[in-house]
Amino acid sequence: MSQTIATDKQQAILTANSLTRRFGGLVAVNNVSFTVNQHEIFGLIGPNGAGKTTLFNLITALIPLSSGELIYKGQEISQLRSHQIASLGIARTFQNIRLFGELSALENVIIARHLHTNSSIVTGVLGLPPAPQEESKNRQKALELLEMVGLSDRAAEKSRNFAYGDQRRLEIARALALEPQILLLDEPAAGMNPSEKAQLSDFIRNIRDRFNLTIIIIEHHVPLVMGLCDRIAVLDFGQLIALGEPSVIRNDPAVIEAYLGNE
Amino acid sequence: MAEFFSTYGSLIVSMVLGALLGLSLYLPLMAGQLSLASPGFYALGGYIAAILSTTVFKNNSDLFPIHLLLLEMLIAGVVSGLLGIAIGIPALRLRGIYLAIATIAFVEVLRVLSLNWEITGGAVGIFAIPQPFQTQIEYLWVALPLLLISMVLFYRLERVRIGRAFTAIREDELAAGAMGINPTYYKVLAFTLGAILAGIVGAVSAHFLNTWNARQGTFDASIIYLTFVLIGGSRTFLGSVVGGMVFTALPEVLRGLADTGGFPVWLAQFLRDGRLIIFGLLIVIGTIFFPQGLITPEIFRVGKAKNRERREQ
Repeated sequence: MSQTIATDKQQAILTANSLTRRFGGLVAVNNVSFTVNQHEIFGLIGPNGAGKTTLFNLITALIPLSSGELIYKGQEISQLRSHQIASLGIARTFQNIRLFGELSALENVIIARHLHTNSSIVTGVLGLPPAPQEESKNRQKALELLEMVGLSDRAAEKSRNFAYGDQRRLEIARALALEPQILLLDEPAAGMNPSEKAQLSDFIRNIRDRFNLTIIIIEHHVPLVMGLCDRIAVLDFGQLIALGEPSVIRNDPAVIEAYLGNE
Repeated sequence: MAEFFSTYGSLIVSMVLGALLGLSLYLPLMAGQLSLASPGFYALGGYIAAILSTTVFKNNSDLFPIHLLLLEMLIAGVVSGLLGIAIGIPALRLRGIYLAIATIAFVEVLRVLSLNWEITGGAVGIFAIPQPFQTQIEYLWVALPLLLISMVLFYRLERVRIGRAFTAIREDELAAGAMGINPTYYKVLAFTLGAILAGIVGAVSAHFLNTWNARQGTFDASIIYLTFVLIGGSRTFLGSVVGGMVFTALPEVLRGLADTGGFPVWLAQFLRDGRLIIFGLLIVIGTIFFPQGLITPEIFRVGKAKNRERREQ
């Protein structure tokens, strides 16, 4: 197994120790350990059913761990619930897109400002400060995020009416509204044409720099992953079979056999 | 005018109370929870007012003092709220139809308890509940402000953080959690607020109806309130208000229609007594042809669009 050792300059932000998840007799994630460094773009690839999305679901507490521990900025987070994980600064998008379909694009993004709104029920309903100021500030921030993903002219449109690629971008805007430190992107390029994919790559680098993010990305489009990621982890049948820089992963025989094929 | 009010005063107050009961069911529905528990808290609030006004607050003066009525409403609200939290936390772990069943069971448990307790008057219930007003229509002094304040609060609720949290949970509870919204907290909150409202309405109704017994809090009532919300409009609070008023008046309208004559006997009988069948049919027809109910949020947007047009001209 190829692995690069983190340099002194890089600090671990998320550490996974022997993560395991069983569904009855099926071991979906099998003893997976890795470390993600701050500000890196960390790729997660592997064949369908390898356990990549399950891994995301474990990190964001949508499902519980069968065993293992998750450490985020020095804190053990595997016992927390998903909304608590979000409040610590881990945001995500979903493989199957889980927008609030009946709501407009703007409303979808504003909802994600929930954690950054401090007004209580009483001040909110009665319209007392700081509620009105927070409302307009959140609205402003939401519009900025929509503009960043190129959807601001359709802010009032129902999100279920958007094209697939636009829905994916809207989900990213929504996740960014949490002001996270780690952003988990689950197949963000699915359904995009080649030029959109290229734009996405640039976009991800931009938001990483602009918002000081650490990004973990699941993707099937190998050229995108190779060009974008600082390091890549490869899963197969729930096990981590390789971890390292793109150049190393590209030539790893185990990875080629399991996933990349002979190019 | 005076004759109109003396004939229809009682109905008008009932319509206002019906709107409020619709709202009490609409609250958990905003968070995507189908709770049929309102009649239970309604009955509870009524019993609290009935018991207090015939024992502890017993008064020999002509009219029951209004400040005591308000105090009863406060107590009913607080007790309903506490019970709401106690029931809500375990019950709201259930989803969809199972939650609905649990709330039906809750209403039934309260009903059977009230039938068998001495303090609630057993099967006979409590009667001769003192009146704070000379005429029925004067109950509007309490009911109407209650409705108007509730409507303002609902209007605001739908536009701020807590209302958005409810909506997010209703749309996709898992995604809402991933966005930092605590689903359990907000579901219990919606449920409890609905309970408090139903309890307060119960307290007023006990005085309004003069007697209170186990028949006030039954499963039938849940279906009626559900009709208010589903047909009136399940996506905005106005739907429950309109639905509550229209469908409280409907049986009386049907009875008036039957009495005007010209109908065969069986049809007149059906119009008069078949109210539950009619409501059931309305729910079925409504969910097929008007899934969002009659009053939809589009109405607000149409109003806004028209205003914008006018301004731009």
